[in-house]
Order: sequence, then structure tokens, then C-alpha cells
Amino acid sequence: MSTTEKTDRETEVQQLRARIAALEAELVEQAERTERIVAAAQARTYWLDRWHLDLNALMQRPGAAEFRALVRGLRWIVRGLKKVKRTLLRGS
Amino acid sequence: MSRVSVVIPVKDGERYLAELLDAVAREGADEVLVIDSGSTDRSLEIVRSARGVELLQIDPAEFGHGRTRNLGAERTSGELICFLTQDATPTPGWLDAVRAAFALDAQVGAVFGPHLPRADTSPMIARELERHFAGFAGVDGGPALQGAGDEPFLSNVNAAYRRDVWEQIRFRDVAYSEDQAFGRDLLAAGWLKAYHPDAAVLHAHDYGALEFMRRYFDEYRGLHATTGHVEGFHPLDALRTVRAETAADLRWLKEQGAPAGERARWAARAGVHHGGRRVFSALGSRADRLPAGVRERLSLEGRGDGSTPDPLGPPATPPPAGRPIAPQRAEDDYADAARVLREGAVPLLDPIPGMAERERLRLALVVPPWRRGSGGHNTLFQLLSRLERRGHVCSVWVSDLYGETAGTWPAVLRDEINEWFAPFDGPVYKDFADWHGADVVMATGWQTVHPALLLDGCRARAYIVNDHEPEFYATSTESRLAEDTYRHGLHCVAASPWLRDVVAERYGASADAFQLGVDHALYAPRADIARRGDTVVYYARHSTDRRAVPIGLMALAELHRRRPDTRIVLFGTDRPPRTSFPYEHCDVLSGPQLAALYNEATVGLCLSLTNFSLMPKEMLACGLPCVELAGVSAESIFGDDGPLALAPLDPVELARTIERLLDDRGEWERRSQTGIEFVASHTWDVATDEVEAGLRHALRERERELVTSPAAQT
Repeated sequence: MSTTEKTDRETEVQQLRARIAALEAELVEQAERTERIVAAAQARTYWLDRWHLDLNALMQRPGAAEFRALVRGLRWIVRGLKKVKRTLLRGS
Repeated sequence: MSRVSVVIPVKDGERYLAELLDAVAREGADEVLVIDSGSTDRSLEIVRSARGVELLQIDPAEFGHGRTRNLGAERTSGELICFLTQDATPTPGWLDAVRAAFALDAQVGAVFGPHLPRADTSPMIARELERHFAGFAGVDGGPALQGAGDEPFLSNVNAAYRRDVWEQIRFRDVAYSEDQAFGRDLLAAGWLKAYHPDAAVLHAHDYGALEFMRRYFDEYRGLHATTGHVEGFHPLDALRTVRAETAADLRWLKEQGAPAGERARWAARAGVHHGGRRVFSALGSRADRLPAGVRERLSLEGRGDGSTPDPLGPPATPPPAGRPIAPQRAEDDYADAARVLREGAVPLLDPIPGMAERERLRLALVVPPWRRGSGGHNTLFQLLSRLERRGHVCSVWVSDLYGETAGTWPAVLRDEINEWFAPFDGPVYKDFADWHGADVVMATGWQTVHPALLLDGCRARAYIVNDHEPEFYATSTESRLAEDTYRHGLHCVAASPWLRDVVAERYGASADAFQLGVDHALYAPRADIARRGDTVVYYARHSTDRRAVPIGLMALAELHRRRPDTRIVLFGTDRPPRTSFPYEHCDVLSGPQLAALYNEATVGLCLSLTNFSLMPKEMLACGLPCVELAGVSAESIFGDDGPLALAPLDPVELARTIERLLDDRGEWERRSQTGIEFVASHTWDVATDEVEAGLRHALRERERELVTSPAAQT
């Protein structure tokens, strides 16, 4: 192998190693972001986990849709009453 | 094609008989024989009006389940003999399936098919039938063969036999379960039996609740007569079973689309059914111990006679009939260890040049479940917390071998780490379903090593060794598996030089050591607490065998005998030990409470028969001289005559060493001062430096493979 060929090969190896290092660093960054997201989600769901509440499973249960409809209805009534109150207060 | 004879024993079977005979004719049986044993309903009329059906009438007293079927087989001529009961109606395709099952293997001597529930069958029976027969089907739900070692179940409600095999074995003359006995004899003789899901009959025993119970009495009485089986009965187990079975019935009903009202109606009936079954099956298998009158009343057939005669005779010593137990868990406790021993560890990722020196690493800590105050976990989380602060991407994986955290969800576990041990910002995972690889996976307790060996996507595996855990157990599976963990090539980072030498010398493991750190902000001499001159404090955690508490208590008894006025304080356990001397008990103390106690006391006593623990260091950091065991692990850290006062495992010597520290002010001062100075450099930051170096060492060992591997050399 000539000196030029040897130098070219070494350069290529160095470039490949630098590329691997860059990809590995990227992987660490990505892993950090992912772990941070999971940890943040765990911090948010602490009380749900503490009380063994799986809201997705809960909302699949019979009556959940009706319950949501009821809450929506109540919210609509409360908002309506507030609106009426505001209108009346503005009128006075 | 083989000729098929169908034999149907009948007594007052008018309800389904016409339907049954029509179905048999439809299926194309070559010969049909009905054996009537004294019907008083329309059965005889139905049989006589059916075309191609031969009727044989016998005296009711001559009837026997085995005897009568043998008679039926003798009176027919088909190469295949099918037995049906009077309430079992073949479904379309039944006979073709029977023939197909015999064709599966030349050694098939008997064939049976499922009993499907009729529309009015109770859910308890329908579910039981469905579950029972599903267990005999092949993996794909199709036909399956059973041979020696398999369950010998056969049911003459719906079964077919090769004539030559029946001639060889014949039915035993027993009150019940002649089919089960035949199945056992068939398999023992080397024949196979086959199950075909399409060889089905509609069948139901639609008895009332009490009739069901009496039938179970008869069935288990017959089972006892043929196999010697005695049904176990434990009230609490029975209650649990009844509750579980009733719940399963209700779930099944729900799956079938039964409305809530119907489910509620069946709930009580199911409870009575399953409860009655437990009681009457237990009574039935003990019928020979009951008075004849009671037997007669409990039997559905009104049989009050004693044990059933068996003309063929039971085997000289019948094999014990074990109670079948369904699988109760997905995996055995040590399934991962078995997998590693069988298949080896999952290969690591290829090493990458320079990976050991990379600034930030992905580190995964695999830990067993913890409790508040766990010293080993405190060490692990103190280290992990600092590794995380140094920029490494850290995660915690709880490997829960015994299901201790079954009721604790991940966010709660994460909160416990932060509340009880050290700040940790990363995520906590339970089990390894979400495993996503790491630069270094760190096993910790011995139970975590085999699971860690099965994790893929890792560049290296390390083992944070807190203690020599095989010594925690008597000779046992656990002690052997714990020993095995040091032999799988994980790079050990051991919590003392002594421990490093143990794993390296005994097991040939590559190993580094780290020194347990002390929280000097908490454990330090305090001017606001007056040091007493008469107080010995002892870590008396008697639930931990390696703490040698009986020896420690004997030493304190000796001390009390010599110096009755010395104040003795025990802590570290919420159950005060029973002693021959008076003492003050302090339960399990928090860090600040311990620091205050160490600042008030005169001498500390803390023993370990294995690796040196953190507590003596914390005592020393508070200026409290401490007595430990000589000849174990303490010398590897403190030397022979360092700040610790060492004594052999002898109550008198231990008492003498404590007494010397109480009496000799000069020695007390020297050990107190050198102790403070000695542990000043033992911090968690230093420990983290050492552990991080160990983890990088593990990666470097992998990199070395690049240099030494044949591929690298070419």
C-alpha cells in the first residue's frame, strides 16, 4: 500500500469514527429527550398512579359516555347562567 | 370404511331420545342398539318406532355403567363402537369427525368429542363444558392426540372405541367413571386417544341445584372407587374457589351478552352450585366412611351400598390420582435464570472505539423492589442521582421477581425514590416491556442479574455489588443462583475492596471497588448536643441475619453484668428484641434522628458478618467511636487498628472492647478524632467517581475486544 493510499484510508477511518461519534451523541440527546418526556408524564400522573386510576380504561366503561354527556350538559347550563348573569349585571 | 355401531343405554330418556335417534340415523351409523333398563316413560315406544334401531331390555338391577356398555359392545359387530348417553344429540358431521380422528394415527384406540351446551343449559355447566373441552384441542383448536402421561379423560356421553382395543381392555364394572378407568387403562397399554372438536354432541345435565349436588356425590364416589381419588376440602380454599368460579360464570354470561338482570339472577344459583359441588364431591369421595342411610340419601341414584365391587380388580397398587391443578402463573420465579442457563445471555452490541470516554452515557439501573430505609437502595440511588447530575441519561428499571410491587404504579415508585432516597429526574419503569437499550445496564441485587443478561441493545453490562449475597441464604436455590450471578462476565463494581476481592478471587469476575459515601451535611459532630459518657448504641436489626444480633445482644448482656449503670440504646428495628438486660428502644430512625443519637452516645456497636456497611462510617463521621467485627471486611477499609475498634465474634471480647472505649478516655479521643478525619474523604461524590470509573472500565473491556478479536487482527 502506497503512502498516499495509507493516508487516504486513515482519513476515511477518522471520518467514519467522527460520524459514529456524532450519531452516538445524537442518540444520547434523543434518549435524554425521551426519558425526560416519560419522567415528566410520570410526574404528572403521580396521583392517578397512586390511586390506581387508569382514565382511558375508566372512560371505556359502560356509562362513561353518558357521564361525559351529563357533564357537558351541566357545563352548558352553568355557562348559560353565567352569561345571563353578566348580561343582567351589564344591563343594570 | 369401518362399520360403526352406536350403543345407547336408556332409562326414562324420552325427552331427547327421538331427536338423538334421528341424528344418529342422519349421520349414517351402520348399527344402532338401545339398551333399556326399565324405562317407565315413552322411551320404549320411541325406540320401537325408530327405523333400524335394535332394542335390548334388561332388568334395572342388572344395569352397571361398565357392565351394560360391555354388553352393548358384545351385542354389536361394528369395527368402531360409539357410546352415547340418552341426552346426547350428535351435531351434523359428528360421525365423519369420529372417523377422521381414528385416521389420525394407527395407534388411536378411542375418540371423544366435546359436549356442547343446549340452549337451556345453566351458565355454570355451559362454561365448564366450554373450558373443559377447549383444553383437549390442538394448538390451532383442531383435533389432537393424547398418549401416556396425558390426562386420561374419556367420557361415554360421547366416545367411540376400536373394537379390538375394547376387547383388549373392556370397561370395568364400576358404579361410575368406567370411561375414566378405560382411558387410564388405554393409555397405560400404549394406545392413543384422540379428541376431535367436530365430533360434538349437544348435551346437558339440567338438574336442579340439589340434584346436581347429589350427582357430584355419585360421580366422586365412583371416581374414588376406580382411582382411589379423595377430593380435598379446605373451607377457606373452597370459599375462594366458589367466589372465583361464580365470578367467572358472571363474566362468561356477560361475554355471551346476558343482561345485568339475568346475571344477577344467576349469581346466587352459581354460588350454591359451586359451593354444593365442593361439599358433595368431597363427601362422595369419602362415601365409604358414611353410614349406608346417609349414602343412600345423598346419592342421586339412591345407592346406599358400600364400595363398588370391581370384578377385574384394581391394579395391585393403584397409582395415586393427583388433584389436577391448572397453571396459576405466567412464569416461574426464576424463569429468567433458567433461560440464561439454557440459552446464555443475549449478545451485547458491538463495541465502538472511544465509547468508554464519551462524556455522556445512557445508563440503566436494574433494581429489585425497595422499602423505606433500605441501605442498599440508598447507596444505589445516591450514586444514580449524582451520575444523572453529571449529565448521564439515567433510567430505573424495577425487576420485581416476586411481585412485591404489584399494587404500586411507576409514578409512585419514582416518587418514593425522590422522597426516601435521593433526587432523581429520570423515569422509572416496571418490568422490561418498554426496554430500549443502554450504553451500560447495571444489575444490582442478585435477582436482577439474570433479567439484565436477557436485555438487548446494550454496549456493556456492569454489576453494582453491595454485598456477597450468597451468604444471605442457607444452602438453597437462592444461594446457588446468587453465586451464579458473578460468573456471567458482568464487570463488578463492589462496595468495598474486600468485596471486590471476594468476587474476583472466588468467581473470577473482573471487578473494581468503591467506598460507600457519607452525607457529611447530616452526619457531623454537633456542638448543640452534649456527648454522654455512659451510652452504648447498638444497631439491633435482628431481621437481618448477617447482623449477628444474638451475638451483639450477648455482648451487651455481658457489658450490663459488668456495668449495670451503662445506658444501652437499641435501634434499627420496630420490634424490640427480648433481652436479659434493660435497654431503651428507638425503632427505625430517620437520618437526622440517627445523627443526633450518634452525637449523644459514647460508643456505637454495629456488626456485619459480610460486607462492611455504611452505618459505622456515619457513626465515625459524628465523632462516635464504633465497635465492629474483626476478620471480616472492615480491615480492608480501616486497617487493623484504624478508627474502628475491632473485636472477634465473641460476646466477652466485644463487651471488653466496648468497655475499654467507655473507660479509656485517651483511646476514645484518638478513635473519635481519627474517625472524623478518616471518613472526611468518604463522600458520595467520591463514590460516584469510583463507580463511574468502573462503568467506563466495563465499556473499555468491551473496546478491548476490538483489539483482541480475530477480525480486528486480520
